[in-house]
Formats: sequence, structure tokens, C-alpha cells
Amino acid sequence: MYGWIWRHLPGNVWIKALISLLLVLAVVYVLFQYVFPWAEPLLPFNDVTVDNQ
Amino acid sequence: MAATADDTEHEEWTASDGSPDGGRRRGTGRIALAVSFFGELLITSGLVLGLFVVYSLWWTNVVADRKADRQGDEVRDHWAQSQDPDTGPGALDTKDGIGFLHVPSMKNGEVLVRKGTSTDVLNDGVAGYYTDPIKAALPTTGKDGNFTLAAHRDGHGAKFHNIDKVAKGDAIVFETRDKWYVYKVYDILDETSKFNVNVLAQVPKESGRNKPGHYITLTTCTPVYTSRYRYVVWGELVRVDKVDSKRTPPKELR
Repeated sequence: MYGWIWRHLPGNVWIKALISLLLVLAVVYVLFQYVFPWAEPLLPFNDVTVDNQ
Repeated sequence: MAATADDTEHEEWTASDGSPDGGRRRGTGRIALAVSFFGELLITSGLVLGLFVVYSLWWTNVVADRKADRQGDEVRDHWAQSQDPDTGPGALDTKDGIGFLHVPSMKNGEVLVRKGTSTDVLNDGVAGYYTDPIKAALPTTGKDGNFTLAAHRDGHGAKFHNIDKVAKGDAIVFETRDKWYVYKVYDILDETSKFNVNVLAQVPKESGRNKPGHYITLTTCTPVYTSRYRYVVWGELVRVDKVDSKRTPPKELR
């Protein structure tokens, strides 16, 4: 998977490394901004109130 | 063995490829590819889970603290502007936040207090007062009742992270525009069910009190990093100080 991506990136090693870094950052951004905030309330880690539900 | 079988199967294909060695590589390659793909998936999911921990224990704090600071500043600005003596303590802006909670033994400075205990509110790094299932009695009304609050133990500001450091006799101070409400912790429940709404009662009988009074209740989740149980701290109003022109904090906070 990663090898496949690496082979399909254009340019020499340095350009590939740079693009890879950008891709990683983009993935982390999407995770932190959209995926984790969505997933968090579904997981039982952060309920702090008492209620009768 | 499987590799050799594969090898012969793809003889034609490899021949057209032109490389005599390629057949063996590609034959084993199919299994190797599947294995390495699976391995990469495992590594990836591990990294994603690791990132989730970073997100919940660090990033949400960064975001929430930033938000809470800004909201806190707004409330203080608001207070500074409305020094009009006609608007008494009744003129509360419940949307922005009603005041600040100081618990010296938690060592986390001031915590903005806002209305409600929904995730939307609490995720901004504030403490929320209950509106449901039992409505909190705000100290500003001066009536008997229980001022019930909740905040996160971990992540999203983690404002009650050090709740286990609070001991009986410690001070809890609630600051509003004109008053310092000084409470003293008299009972702690270090584990209770999340359905135990009785801890929020206007007279919290579980804490050993039977008479109406001015109580404060802090709730959060326990043990740390989970939400299995709830941790409850009860306090009682000791005295109310007027805020002076320099906002000198009461001696409990000095």
C-alpha cells in the first residue's frame, strides 16, 4: 500500500518525501478535525455527568 | 510449494514480460503482497489509535483551554464594563458564563462556569451547572439548594482532572461579578453509579446532610481515562464575601 503510493508519486526521492509528508499531515488534519470529533462521543471515555438515561 | 505451482501457472504471462526471473518474483509476490498489505493495515490502525489518544488527551485540551480562556476574558470584560450599581447580582448573563470556580487543591486556576452539562458546553473547557435531571440552585439567588456542577476529568480542558486531590476541609470558591462564595468540602464519594442522580438533590442525603442549606456538588467521571463511575465532592457554604474594587481574592485563594 505505502510502497504503491511511493512508486506513484512523481519526482525524485526528495520530492516524493515532501509529498509524503504533506499527505501524512493532510491525513492527520482530517482525523483531528473530522474523524476523531465524530468518533469521540460514541466511545465511553468522557461522560462526566450523572443522569437517568 | 505454492510458489512453484504459481510459477508454472503464470509462465505464459511472465514470458511475455520478458524477464526470466520475474515469474518467480511475481508468483510469491501475490502472497507477499497480501501479507504486507495486511501488515500495513495493522500498522496504520495502530498509528490511528495512537493518534486518537494524542487527540483526546492533548489536542482537545489545547482547543478547550483556548476557547475557555477567550470566553473567560469575555465574561471579565463584561463585568468590568457593567459596574453600574443598579444592575445587581440578578443581572446575570447566563449565556456567556456566570462566574468562575476556584478549587485551590486542584491546582488548575480558575474554571469558567456555564449553563448546562451537555457535551457541547463541557467540551469548551468549562464547568457546567446542571439543568437536567435536577436543576442546580445558583448561589446568586441566595436561596437554599444545591449548586451542582460537572466538568471533564480528561481531555477538553480536563478541568476536574485533579478532583481526587481535593480533601475534606478544602475550599471551593465560586466567584461572580460581585461576590465570592466560599464553600468548604465536607464529604467525598469516590465512586458511584452514573445513574445515581440523588447526589444532585437539593439536600444531598448521601453526604449525610438532612437539612436544606447552601451546598455545592462537583461531579466528574472516575477512574481517570474512563467513564465507568462518577466521582462526587460535596461542599457547604461557609461565607459570602463582597468583591472589592481590586477584586482581592478571599484568603482561601491566597
